[in-house]
Amino acid sequence: MTSEALPRPVHRSRFSLFRVFAFIILTILALVTIYPFVWMVLTSLRDARSVFAGPFFPNPIIFTNYPDAWVQTQFGSHFLNSLIVSVVSLAGILFLSITAGYGFAKLKFPFKNVIYVLLLSTMAMPAASLIIPLFLQVKSIGLLNSLWGLILVYVGSMSPFSIFLMRSFFEGVPDELIEAARMDGSGEWYTLFRVVLPLVRPGIGTVVILQFLSIWNEFLYAAVLIQSTDKQTLQPTIFHLNGRYATNWTLLAAALTMAILPIVVIYVNMQKQFVAGLTQGALKW
Amino acid sequence: MADIAVKQTLPRRLGAYILGKPRDRQERLSGLSMTLPAFIFFVIFIGISITRTLLLSFQSWDAIGPATWVGISNYVNFFGDKVFSHALLVTLLLTAVLTVLLSTIPMLIAVLFNMKWGIFGTTYRTMMFMPSIISMVITAALWRMILDPNLGIINSLLGNVGLVNLQQNWLGDEHFVLYSILLVTIWQGLGLYVIIFYAGLQGVDVNLYEAAAIDGANGWQKFVNVTVPMMRPVNLMVLTLNLLNGIKMFDVIWVLTQGGPVNASQTLGTDMYRVTFANPGLPQFGYGSAISAVILFLCVLAVLFQIEMNKRKNT
Repeated sequence: MTSEALPRPVHRSRFSLFRVFAFIILTILALVTIYPFVWMVLTSLRDARSVFAGPFFPNPIIFTNYPDAWVQTQFGSHFLNSLIVSVVSLAGILFLSITAGYGFAKLKFPFKNVIYVLLLSTMAMPAASLIIPLFLQVKSIGLLNSLWGLILVYVGSMSPFSIFLMRSFFEGVPDELIEAARMDGSGEWYTLFRVVLPLVRPGIGTVVILQFLSIWNEFLYAAVLIQSTDKQTLQPTIFHLNGRYATNWTLLAAALTMAILPIVVIYVNMQKQFVAGLTQGALKW
Repeated sequence: MADIAVKQTLPRRLGAYILGKPRDRQERLSGLSMTLPAFIFFVIFIGISITRTLLLSFQSWDAIGPATWVGISNYVNFFGDKVFSHALLVTLLLTAVLTVLLSTIPMLIAVLFNMKWGIFGTTYRTMMFMPSIISMVITAALWRMILDPNLGIINSLLGNVGLVNLQQNWLGDEHFVLYSILLVTIWQGLGLYVIIFYAGLQGVDVNLYEAAAIDGANGWQKFVNVTVPMMRPVNLMVLTLNLLNGIKMFDVIWVLTQGGPVNASQTLGTDMYRVTFANPGLPQFGYGSAISAVILFLCVLAVLFQIEMNKRKNT
């Protein structure tokens, strides 16, 4: 036995047959998973006629599909709409989850458990079950077809999960620290924002990544609550593109590439945080 | 010396003063003020909405005229509604298959990843995870092109290697559409679950493997007797996530097929949307709410299942 002190199941040789077999499988999986993206980008760089008959690698490579897609689909304004909705919703969710998460983790007050259980039960509620009354509610307060209506719905429906997350991060903060702050005379709100908050930065990072991604990718609420095209966010726009440009694959591929580019760029650069955030979010269940 | 003594007792005295009754009151008030905004949001958006869904499910409403109370007839009509019955079947079927596949295969892949691959490991994981960060809408739009019967790369690839007779109308043929949906959903979800299982694997105590090795266990036995039991919380969580995602399925299917061809791929989610917001006739808010109630009911079952399984683990 080799004397490795590493947390892995030990194999006698680095080149065992099993290892070769595993490597082949992983390679195939990785390539198969990534291939649709490769195809998509290549298609976006083609002339429309060479999509089906042309060679694998487009020759010549043309970039005109991108400006075409940008202009024809008004990509910029929809992108902006999504950005506005995501950032503002995120701000709201952060505020609610930090305050409520701290309150549930560290403070004692009446009805604490009842409120917590009720809040948590919302995580099991599917959007499909809420969409009809939410549509009617938003309509009745006059915020239908408004980005604000969508923002409110996102904050209301996605906060419970973030509250749950932040609570578990806050529970890791030692009570003595909070006691010390209390003895120095600071009130609860001050304690939270000045003393405790810096300690839960990983938690905040997790919430930001998870929620931004969820809001950016969300489709059902965005499609139902916003009707006019100029106010639409990105995902419903792509849905309509799928129908309208069903046969114009090069344009569609360019639009799709543009749609995923920001997320992919952020992801590749912040991989560690991404993966950590998602797994922590999932494991803290 | 004397002033040090004073300094030491002063904070304590101060603390005792502060932690007295007024202190508790401040804590309680802060606690409520911190959690009530979220709770109010909950009541407005979730509490009222759920109640309204349930109430609407007993009514019939076309969103134009007034709503009429029809008791349980929406639910009774389920039995005669072929589309709904099929949607229910498809939902349960897809959920079952997806849950089984996405709770087991990613764990095996994660174990393979757990074998010290260096830069290859990170690169491969990055590649595998990418489908999980893009939206369902984009996924479906992309795959609609790939699965196109005449021009998509699946069929053209089959043609190029001589398997022409395997070419199908992947999205337009009712016999294959569900397989296509499974393929797309698995492609999208695989990376996420591999990452989750991989993270969970890091938490398994190394010494257990060594102890098992001393007892003469080979690789597979180590997996079955050490890895799987130790990952039980992760397994349970992944299982529940898969169940919930399956029951709620909407985005991918709506973009790929809108529930077609001829309602072959309707799920509860798409049927609800179709009946309420995309009805060729008049919208049926009441009937759609009844379908929503069924979705909710199934989700609650899944969560109760998880809570029950969690309890058993802890005893």
